[in-house]
Amino acid sequence: MAKKITGPQLIIANRLDDGRAVFLTIAGDWSPEVANAAVAHCEDELQHLLAVAQASEIANHVVSVTAVAADLSGETPSPAHIKFAMQARGPSVRTDLGYQVSPNWEQ
Amino acid sequence: MYAYDTYDHAMVNARVAEFRDQVERRVKGELTEDEFKPLRLMNGLYLQLHAYMLRVAIPYGTLSANQMRTLAHIARKYDKGYSHFTTRQNVQFNWPKLSETPDILQELADVEMHAIQTSGNCIRNVTTDQFAGATADEVADPRPYAELIRQWSTFHPEFSFLPRKFKIAITGAKQDRAAVKWHDIGLVVKENAAGDIGFEVLAGGGMGRTPLIAKPMRDFLPVEDLLSYLEAMLRVYNEQGRRDNKYKARIKILVDAMGIEEYTRQVEAEWEKIRHIPIDVPAAEVARIKSFFAPPPLAVLADEVPDVDDLAQKNFIFKSWLANNTGSHKVPGYVNVTISLKPHGGIPGDASDEQMDLVADLADSYSQSEIRVSHEQNLILPHVARRDLPALWSKLDAAGLGSPNAGLLTDIIACPGLDYCALANTRSIPIAQSITERFDDLKRLMDIGPLKIKISGCINSCGHHHAGHIGILGVDRKGTENYQLLLGGSGAEDASKAEILGPGLDEHGIVDAIEKVVAVYLGEREDGEEFLSAYRRLGADIFKEAVYGTH
Repeated sequence: MAKKITGPQLIIANRLDDGRAVFLTIAGDWSPEVANAAVAHCEDELQHLLAVAQASEIANHVVSVTAVAADLSGETPSPAHIKFAMQARGPSVRTDLGYQVSPNWEQ
Repeated sequence: MYAYDTYDHAMVNARVAEFRDQVERRVKGELTEDEFKPLRLMNGLYLQLHAYMLRVAIPYGTLSANQMRTLAHIARKYDKGYSHFTTRQNVQFNWPKLSETPDILQELADVEMHAIQTSGNCIRNVTTDQFAGATADEVADPRPYAELIRQWSTFHPEFSFLPRKFKIAITGAKQDRAAVKWHDIGLVVKENAAGDIGFEVLAGGGMGRTPLIAKPMRDFLPVEDLLSYLEAMLRVYNEQGRRDNKYKARIKILVDAMGIEEYTRQVEAEWEKIRHIPIDVPAAEVARIKSFFAPPPLAVLADEVPDVDDLAQKNFIFKSWLANNTGSHKVPGYVNVTISLKPHGGIPGDASDEQMDLVADLADSYSQSEIRVSHEQNLILPHVARRDLPALWSKLDAAGLGSPNAGLLTDIIACPGLDYCALANTRSIPIAQSITERFDDLKRLMDIGPLKIKISGCINSCGHHHAGHIGILGVDRKGTENYQLLLGGSGAEDASKAEILGPGLDEHGIVDAIEKVVAVYLGEREDGEEFLSAYRRLGADIFKEAVYGTH
């Protein structure tokens, strides 16, 4: 039986080249859109996602891999804590620029 | 301004080449992040929430017009068209790519700038009065001594891995605009009875989670002893500062623990050992550095300019700008001009590439090609003829740079906060924006008068909330943003620590609270009494009652 964790979690990191906040997807790659984030509901799932993420970190695709609490109350998952939610949304200022406008923004 | 010699150029160019190699090795995977992180930080490159951030040093806040144009070019080519001037008189770019950072550093090196020692546990950029060399209330221009300290501290082998970062501020004016008492070391330029220049020396100031005001060590340190004495001060700190706990590692903790008398005794003993070895530079070298900061060739002009007075009579905004954004210059007929980077609803300290280019052009036209950055996140044109003020203001105003609010309630210091910073607990910028929107009536602002609001998004205090007449500190309250209100701080010569007024408030409540605090002040002030004086006379209780309604 899968071990319980305190709540659903998702994996966030920063891309190596531009530092962009990205989320680990179910396919094992990274997406700038939090809507695509894989959600771990138990310890086994979390450890699997972390293993995938850390392999990507070792391969120098991303840095700062972190598991964070997920909020599943909306249509799509999002980080529960304001700090990681800000990473998902982008700055709340200069909303005419960057991924504050579109999550598909590329520099 | 100081101009690089061949050694300076070679040193900075070598550093760029070294970092280019380090970045290439990181991208190829030859360096791990753990190996690379301290290397990038030594070159001012942080990883923030959304991107890398490059912090570029602006030595003692002095920029040439050409350097400002390069900053504009970097913002345009490598970033998103803007940059952020900081509370340390530096500039930050919020969106550089790792692989392009060496190119940015090379462009900076080409105009005699760099990002060395803008991070890490070393001696950081020396800060000073933004009006240095251009103000009537000055004993002497502090920038030659700041440059001397910069050269001494850059790549100093003994002080590259201090217990914690180290900040030195120096002022040469009677009015302390450099917040020297809030620094690890504060220096005040003085002249003794014999007419010699020296320094009052203070140590152990700092903000963060343990705010402490620096204590005096020496009333007069001769110029010729400056570097050896600083060497002794740093050496005692380096040996005895705590390395077991980063929150207790700053010199303020050491000085507070051992007492300023004992710290001074140990420094003096160390200094006796080292003062006769050649640490201090010869008088000829001091004179050579001073020559770079020689006063510009300004022809004395009439202070009375009918065009200026006429426009001030007709235009209240210009009149306000004249009152708030210009200051007395040491040469008759001239003023220093503060270009406010605090427009209504704007982001404190931000400037677009077009605005930076314009400021560079205006510096060429009106201010001897010289620009300053203030720790209050504004830009300065230090040497402007009064007769040029109408034309200058008109051009600034057309570009959104004519806000007449320097020193007023909306001239808010704010750290980048959670919109950018990985250390922050809360956003700061939107609070500043909300306050400027609430207080959008110029006549009301003029009536309120001088009032400094300073906002930090976490206890690290980059927004100097401890020194705010009104300070705001963002705290994490169970994953949501909450704001503490502090009153009574000062970063000036009458330095004081702001005290928390009561429980934290949400982002709307904190703006309402500012309104209530200001209402108490307006209702209770005596004739000509400024906010801080009124607070000190009235005490906190009356403000607490207004904000929290405790009785």
